Amino acid sequence: MSLENKVIEKMKVSLNGKILEASNPRARRIFVKVKPEAFKDAVKFLVEDLNVKHLSTITGMDLGEKIELIYHFAFQGAISISLKVDVPKESPRIPSIVNLVPGAILYEREVHDVLGVNFEGHPDLSRLILPEDWPEGVYPLRKEYSPEDLRKLLSKNGGKS
Amino acid sequence: MEANPRMGYGSIIKIPFGPQHPALKEPEHFTFEVEGNIIVDVKPRLGYNHRGIEKAMEVRTYIQNIYLAERICGICSDAHTTCYCQAIEELLGVEAPPRAKYIRVIIAELERIHSHSLWVGIAAHEIGFDTLFMHVWRDRETIMDILEFISGNRVHYAMNTIGGVRRDISSDMIPKIKKGLDFLEERIKDYIKIIETDPTIRKRTVNVGVLKPKDAIELCAVGPTLRASGIKNDVRKDDPYAAYDEIPFNVITNDGCDVFARIIVRCEEMLESVNMIRYALDNLPSGRLRVRVPLAVPAGEVVSRVEAPRGELIHYARSNGTSRPERYKIRSPTLGNIPALCKMLLGQHVADIPIVLAGIDPCFACMDRIAIVDTKTRKRRVMNFEELRRFSQRWRKTH
Repeated sequence: MSLENKVIEKMKVSLNGKILEASNPRARRIFVKVKPEAFKDAVKFLVEDLNVKHLSTITGMDLGEKIELIYHFAFQGAISISLKVDVPKESPRIPSIVNLVPGAILYEREVHDVLGVNFEGHPDLSRLILPEDWPEGVYPLRKEYSPEDLRKLLSKNGGKS
Repeated sequence: MEANPRMGYGSIIKIPFGPQHPALKEPEHFTFEVEGNIIVDVKPRLGYNHRGIEKAMEVRTYIQNIYLAERICGICSDAHTTCYCQAIEELLGVEAPPRAKYIRVIIAELERIHSHSLWVGIAAHEIGFDTLFMHVWRDRETIMDILEFISGNRVHYAMNTIGGVRRDISSDMIPKIKKGLDFLEERIKDYIKIIETDPTIRKRTVNVGVLKPKDAIELCAVGPTLRASGIKNDVRKDDPYAAYDEIPFNVITNDGCDVFARIIVRCEEMLESVNMIRYALDNLPSGRLRVRVPLAVPAGEVVSRVEAPRGELIHYARSNGTSRPERYKIRSPTLGNIPALCKMLLGQHVADIPIVLAGIDPCFACMDRIAIVDTKTRKRRVMNFEELRRFSQRWRKTH
């Protein structure tokens, strides 16, 4: 069995039915989707049991009703493990992983900025990339805003279109 | 602000740093809290150059996005298109021909030499060693000429396309490229000798901006910043792409953990790159340059990683069966290094801010106006970056 499959099997055993889907599309790539309640355990398993220390980034994605978060970890620097979890778009919240992976600090802030996901327990969720005068509650990477809408918003706020 | 009880020197002063500075590449802002001359806290504020490229990519076709990806960065433009093109190739289920993969390696390594030598020049400038800065940048022109000779361009080479590369390196071009490489190899060896022996450089960089291996790993540092803390981690070796699995090379590390180690790692990486380009030129497979691909991309998702000059670059793409991506995520190496940068700045002297900041080779680093505000007296003094640089050199001469 390949190392990638072994990792998936170990995760399945550890998370005991909380995995929604797992795939290994090619060498060194793993995608695993977990239930929101099992998310923190999944990260704990990766960091503590598999000794995965490197988080490459967090991708946030607007799926309409839900926001999908994808945590891109690197196992032994080589195998990219993408851990996915859905949060409702109505009230998007997920526990922060900064205590487990200190390097996640800016990635969580970035997703909070552009998609409005609330990372519970994050030490400082102040704005990271959006300007100070950006209107509250407008999350530019959500699908309801087209680039034209955002351009209009910016010019209304005194920015250049 | 209240007096700091920890060290008893009196007030903590906040120094806003940035965001505008025309001499460096992109704007950036940091708030430094200093006590006396020592930094006790750093808060980064990014986004001054946020152009909304991820959003823009969602409304453009895959072909248009090659050009957009090329323009994410003016230094590592090739790293971004390589990452982008191989992501879309994977979604399409096609592979670039072997010759294209070798050409991708050649361009990527030329870009690494140009980026690292640009950086060595800037680092020398930050510590006031302008002679070295001038020499390195003069020699860097050799690389720029080679890149222009191959691609027709100095900055945006536009070599990559989905399915392969757009221009060939013919056999009659090889001697000229090799001649340039021979010259550069000599020069780089010379620089290493100068850097290792010059007391000025050592004094300004040894034990400055220390990043311990444990912190480097925990804060998810990448690239030469990570390798200069002794961690052997390189996407080219760990997760090979293009032709990196066929080309022999060493991953350079250094246990120094300071700015000096970061200089040495980058210089030695340049020598590795010279050898890799030579090997790739000697073993360039024959065959076509690209495969034709359809405009619409089947639904799927892919993670693409590349070792850019500054470290791990990661792109994530999700397609929906149309000719435009559903979502495209980009994380450039500099963002990955900012938590580590904040860590290395703690406990440093104000005078060392420029060189420690430059130490991660930031692709943003713009520090134009620096207002020093004494929160007790409410007096405000504004320094521009040049003044801070001079101040830093003056201060260092007397301390």
